[in-house]
Amino acid sequence: MTSMAPEQEFETQDLMINMGPQHPATHGVFRMVLQVDGEVVRDVVSHIGYMHRGGEKLSETMDFRQGIGFMDRTEYLAQFNAELSYVMAVEKLMDIEVPERSQWIRMILCELNRLSSHFMFTGAFGTDVGVFGTGFTYAFRERENILDLFEEITGDRLMYAYFRPGGLAWEVTDNFVARVREVLNVSKQGIKDMDGLLTENEIFKARTQGIGVISAADAIDWGSTGPVLRASGVPLDLRRTEPYLKYAEVDFDVPVGKVGDVYDRWLVRIEEMRQSVRIIEQCLTKLQPGPILPERMPRMLRTPPGEVYLRTEAPRGEYGIYMVSKGGNRPHRLKIRSACFANLQALRDMTIGSYVADAVVILGSLDIVLCEVDR
Amino acid sequence: MTSEDAAAAPLQSFDGTIWSAVDKALSGISAQPERGVQDVIVHIPRDEVIRGLRALKTNADMAFDYLRCLTCVDNEGDGMDVVYMLYSTTKGHNLTVKAHLDANDLHLDTATTVWRAANWYEREVMEMFGVRFRNHPDPRTLLMPEDLTDTFPLRKDHPLAEIEVLQGEGIAWATEESV
Repeated sequence: MTSMAPEQEFETQDLMINMGPQHPATHGVFRMVLQVDGEVVRDVVSHIGYMHRGGEKLSETMDFRQGIGFMDRTEYLAQFNAELSYVMAVEKLMDIEVPERSQWIRMILCELNRLSSHFMFTGAFGTDVGVFGTGFTYAFRERENILDLFEEITGDRLMYAYFRPGGLAWEVTDNFVARVREVLNVSKQGIKDMDGLLTENEIFKARTQGIGVISAADAIDWGSTGPVLRASGVPLDLRRTEPYLKYAEVDFDVPVGKVGDVYDRWLVRIEEMRQSVRIIEQCLTKLQPGPILPERMPRMLRTPPGEVYLRTEAPRGEYGIYMVSKGGNRPHRLKIRSACFANLQALRDMTIGSYVADAVVILGSLDIVLCEVDR
Repeated sequence: MTSEDAAAAPLQSFDGTIWSAVDKALSGISAQPERGVQDVIVHIPRDEVIRGLRALKTNADMAFDYLRCLTCVDNEGDGMDVVYMLYSTTKGHNLTVKAHLDANDLHLDTATTVWRAANWYEREVMEMFGVRFRNHPDPRTLLMPEDLTDTFPLRKDHPLAEIEVLQGEGIAWATEESV
């Protein structure tokens, strides 16, 4: 072999690549401008706001029952979790006690919603990594199975508006427990399928391990929550640290990752799905007949003046509602603290230094819902 | 992969306790407490708020290393309140900090020097309320169009909707009754 001549120093110029807002891998309308040097990303500028509908302003004009419907439209993959924060904020301000039965049903529905949302993630993330078709259709079949149950209960496939301040809109169907068990059995197999399909797959691992790493300290500083934070090894889960509903009465584990890379986020979510199944099974044994609303609920909800920042653990992290009331039947100010909004801020830190092809995978691992980011 | 003790036992067993510790951490800063529905609210004057927030973050007993949320409330004629929701991942306690701004003097220092998470929250408050955060590293609009910097939608005096008048000139603002 002839020895290579020393490589000549070429002057290189960074290239700006615009990705989005219409791009299949951005999970909605999200635009990021990548500054690349060859294959390596040097800088990322995120542009959001394409789905901004002025939801916070709108909520100030809607009374406390009308506002529930809008929450579905912010977090359209985990609607029950979004409604929960809102109705619990109203309950906190009005000091309403929610009947036991409603709390258990809320828990079951929220955990089922976590399952359906994480199924959506497993499918969509597979597509981001390059597993076209198979995983996606499997995951959607599982998700559809859960959505069928939601439709039987609430009458709607996606926009439920089923939770009410004080409890639920109406009683669940008579065969509710049997149907949930049926759905769970299918979902358990679904989790096993998705886990078996990708987790130990060599190509999948090569594509996801060691990229998009964020340390625990950075994740906390950026305000990340949910699986993104837990994958970095911080065991923060509002269901555990500040239990609401009946989470203090059920057993479940909070999975955490070790490295904080994309692969850990996948593992954490898969394990969370198993824990959700575990929680729902315990809820079903504790579900007793009873009222679903307090005895005396006013026809028009009016809160005393006050303010509350109520947070719950949605599939993507902390979904907070900051509600300020000056008395009356509508909030004076409503701020939606979106989990993806904070997680997306950390994207720049995660992506700089990785390859362009990995940028899509890192974005996918955050599992963003742009309607929640923009509100 | 699991951890049972997700956070240390909360310092805040009832509202009284955390305030005494906060007061100690905020020595030299004139802070006023208020009992909120859920968390304790601490009012700090505008000029001292960043110093106070940094003290709350670095104080070993407080260790508010996590900014849950940052937002603003328009008090209709009585200025605005910038609200910081803090959380400590090691101690497990919560606190709300409020800084009051006069309506004719809407600016304060940026909190991005304390937590990087404040970056986007402050950008949103800037475009939605017209509050200026001094020394913000990236003061562009976030959710609104780049050129819409002269009107602030989340202020209470901003109408809910605008209706464009196609024939004629300019834009007519709809009143609350007509919407």
